[in-house]
Amino acid sequence: MAQNNFEIITNNPLVLGKLRETHYVIYHDISYEEILKEVRDRIHEGHRLLSHPLSGSVKPKETPYKSIIITTGKGMEPDIESLELIENAIEACGKFAFKADLYGAGVYKDFQLIDWTLLKSALESAEI
Amino acid sequence: MAKIKVVHYINQFFAQIGGEEKADYPAELRVGETVGPGLAFAANFKDEAEIIATIVCGDSYFNENLEKAKADILAMVKEQKPDVFIAGPAFNAGRYGVACGTIAAAVQEELGIPAVTGMYVENPGADMFKNHVYMIATKNNAAGMRGAVAKMAPLALKLGKGEPVGASAEEGYMPNGIRVNFFEKKRGSARAVDMLLKKLAGKPFETEYPMPNFDRVAPNPAVKDLAHAKIALVTSGGIVPKGNPDHIESSSASHYGEYDITGVTDLTEDTYETAHGGYDPVYANQDADRVLPIDVLRDMEKEGVIGELHHLFYTTVGNGTAVASAKAFAAEIGRKLKADGVDAVILTST
Amino acid sequence: MKLEMGYIHIKDIRFSEESRIQDGILYVSEKAVRETALEDEKLKSVSFDIARPGASVRITPVKDVIEPRVKVEGRGGIFPGIISKTDTVGEGKTYALKGMAVVTAGKIVGFQEGVIDMTGPGAEYTPFSKTLNLVMVCGAQEGIEPHEYEKAVRLAGFRVAVYIGELARTLTPDETTVYETCGLKEGIEKYPELPRVAYVQMLQSQGLLHDTYVYGVDAKRIVPTILSPTEIMDGAIVSGNCVSACDKNPTYVHLNNPVVHDLFEQHGKTLNFVCQIITNENVYLADKQRSSDWTAKLCRMLDLDGVIVSQEGFGNPDTDLIMNCKKIEAEGIKTVIITDEYAGRDGKSQSLADADTAADAVITGGNANQVVILPKLDKVIGTLDYITKIAGASEQTLHEDGSLEVELQVITGATNETGFNKLSAR
Repeated sequence: MAQNNFEIITNNPLVLGKLRETHYVIYHDISYEEILKEVRDRIHEGHRLLSHPLSGSVKPKETPYKSIIITTGKGMEPDIESLELIENAIEACGKFAFKADLYGAGVYKDFQLIDWTLLKSALESAEI
Repeated sequence: MAKIKVVHYINQFFAQIGGEEKADYPAELRVGETVGPGLAFAANFKDEAEIIATIVCGDSYFNENLEKAKADILAMVKEQKPDVFIAGPAFNAGRYGVACGTIAAAVQEELGIPAVTGMYVENPGADMFKNHVYMIATKNNAAGMRGAVAKMAPLALKLGKGEPVGASAEEGYMPNGIRVNFFEKKRGSARAVDMLLKKLAGKPFETEYPMPNFDRVAPNPAVKDLAHAKIALVTSGGIVPKGNPDHIESSSASHYGEYDITGVTDLTEDTYETAHGGYDPVYANQDADRVLPIDVLRDMEKEGVIGELHHLFYTTVGNGTAVASAKAFAAEIGRKLKADGVDAVILTST
Repeated sequence: MKLEMGYIHIKDIRFSEESRIQDGILYVSEKAVRETALEDEKLKSVSFDIARPGASVRITPVKDVIEPRVKVEGRGGIFPGIISKTDTVGEGKTYALKGMAVVTAGKIVGFQEGVIDMTGPGAEYTPFSKTLNLVMVCGAQEGIEPHEYEKAVRLAGFRVAVYIGELARTLTPDETTVYETCGLKEGIEKYPELPRVAYVQMLQSQGLLHDTYVYGVDAKRIVPTILSPTEIMDGAIVSGNCVSACDKNPTYVHLNNPVVHDLFEQHGKTLNFVCQIITNENVYLADKQRSSDWTAKLCRMLDLDGVIVSQEGFGNPDTDLIMNCKKIEAEGIKTVIITDEYAGRDGKSQSLADADTAADAVITGGNANQVVILPKLDKVIGTLDYITKIAGASEQTLHEDGSLEVELQVITGATNETGFNKLSAR
């Protein structure tokens, strides 16, 4: 899939820095859960999910960062599978205590790195 | 240690007053008496607990005088100050099961006294109350009394002492939507092999995590000609004419309402309200259009966006209402809407 | 394939001038294991300690747990493609040191988790409170990246485990078990009446700190394939997974995979254990589609009657688990799945991030959100510095009396999804 066929929605500044020159990156300075909701709104518009919204074993609200790949193109109707995945992901957020503001600066760098590497593993598949 | 004090609730049949012909027997408190199944409980408790009072009530009386019966029985229980309340077991007796569930849940929620009941899994009271109160799964008739008491009594003791309650599989209560950890006798992989062998042999097995079963409905194709369509409003948000004339329950609704809105263009604080007990009613009561948007639909009707707004709306309360009841309401409402030539329905929830 | 496993029971571990195993006691030369660990110049330091069952000791943050083994007969060596040269393993003779483990610890990322308590309530939940643990806390050189650090600690653990395993090469095992699977045709002829069963193992494969390696190959780059179930006993699959302590599979679990062992227990009696199928849990949705399609296809081509599917991790893998289950069931193959749950602290939330009615036979390793209070223990191996930041720990985590209020999430192996433990939930 060519790079212009997908876009990345993220709140991770590291992802923005790494990909802004080469990819279509939509960056928002918002929470993990808000990123999921932003993606949900895109799915309502007809975009499809290309990467899993709950990628990674670091739990929602524990890491503040989330990057998700969606199609640039829109279908006529919302994709039901994408919708289920994103709704389940938003619901799953409710199960975890908010901890993303407890860490020192170094830890945020680690969270950014993990989110970036999870995204990178998806990009490797997306760019074949 | 002092004995745990128990109040026991049974119906007219188990109190040996009579069958259906005595089902209108009003609620009666018998202090210091152990009646019918109470004897089996007493035997099981040994010296750890005693039944300090038994309450007897006819099944018809309870269900037909629900509010009064509930209030009277709650007062009786309150006066006795038990450590734990036991209702039933009701086995497959439908009205008895509903009474046991209703009163056990009420004692727990309103008096703060822990309660346990027991009944057959298909008893209508089970679906209605198993998530509200610990409910032991019993056989479908009184031949299962010994087994029922053997599970209800120890659970009642634990509740009375304030001891932690184990998982449903350990204690024998019906799964109540709350997942509880415990240690099995075999490790997970061995349990998986056992389960697979049963599944392969076509033998019954019990999953450790029943998948939530979503009733997925494929959406109908979009309405092509909205300007000539007849649109109806249906809600589970509990909007009713002021005063709730049909007494739709604030939770676990047993029926729905059908109301005529001919000539109504706006729902106001003086004319409509919500019967729903599961959300903050302030904003719905201020302006019920927020849940049931009649004002907007009247505008659309005027502007010609829609053909017409159906002159009846249907309403119930979705709060804790059993899926089986909701399905039955929907089937009936659907038939009526179809017969009235409604083209599309807007469903609103809360 | 036929593998004879010889078990040597280890009764104690002691530091000593010279490494050897004698009368069930493992004597370890600290100097020798240090040199083995520090062969990798990315590691600056390593300290060794011994944690015994019942001792008032807490180990954290744990990275991996490894059982020392040695290949004494047959092709290849332990951890093929990683420590030993690439060669197909799973036949011949292998010795394992039972009752002990090498535990690697080290702060690879700031939010790292993984607690092993050797006593108290935490010990009931982790399987590694029952093993004698040789713990190695690894420190990295300044300025190296987390992924280099992870790899360095991962490999150092394997090297030390292999070094210790070698000490058993000439010993006589206390116990021996033979594991043997047959070829397809052979199995059908030998057990015509028995149902044909396979184990589908899903491997964590999402990216850095979420990886698993098969013969040294990163599992996210595999397509589903078939193993002889004996291969894992020689270390064909190893963990590179550091996140989600409760439900990640340490290398110890791969070596001792309980589904493989319990299916072998029934092999030839009530079922015919045909093979192990491995698949992955990638982040990219099209990869999930392909992997689950292929897994179901392999099950069909092998004419299986039943499978057990295990997953690893939370969230993303739930989707793979349900896809695998749905597609395998759709082939008419009876399926049992093993998972754990995130039902919230109150147990009231939806346990999995995905669901389907085809998944009608589920084994659960328990609710990972359950809160447990871990009392203060006398000794900490590693560091408590990050305990408030580990998964599931909240700001009240560190009580005044030194006890920790944590979710089971942080305890290594607590809700393992290969069915390693007895913990369950209803």
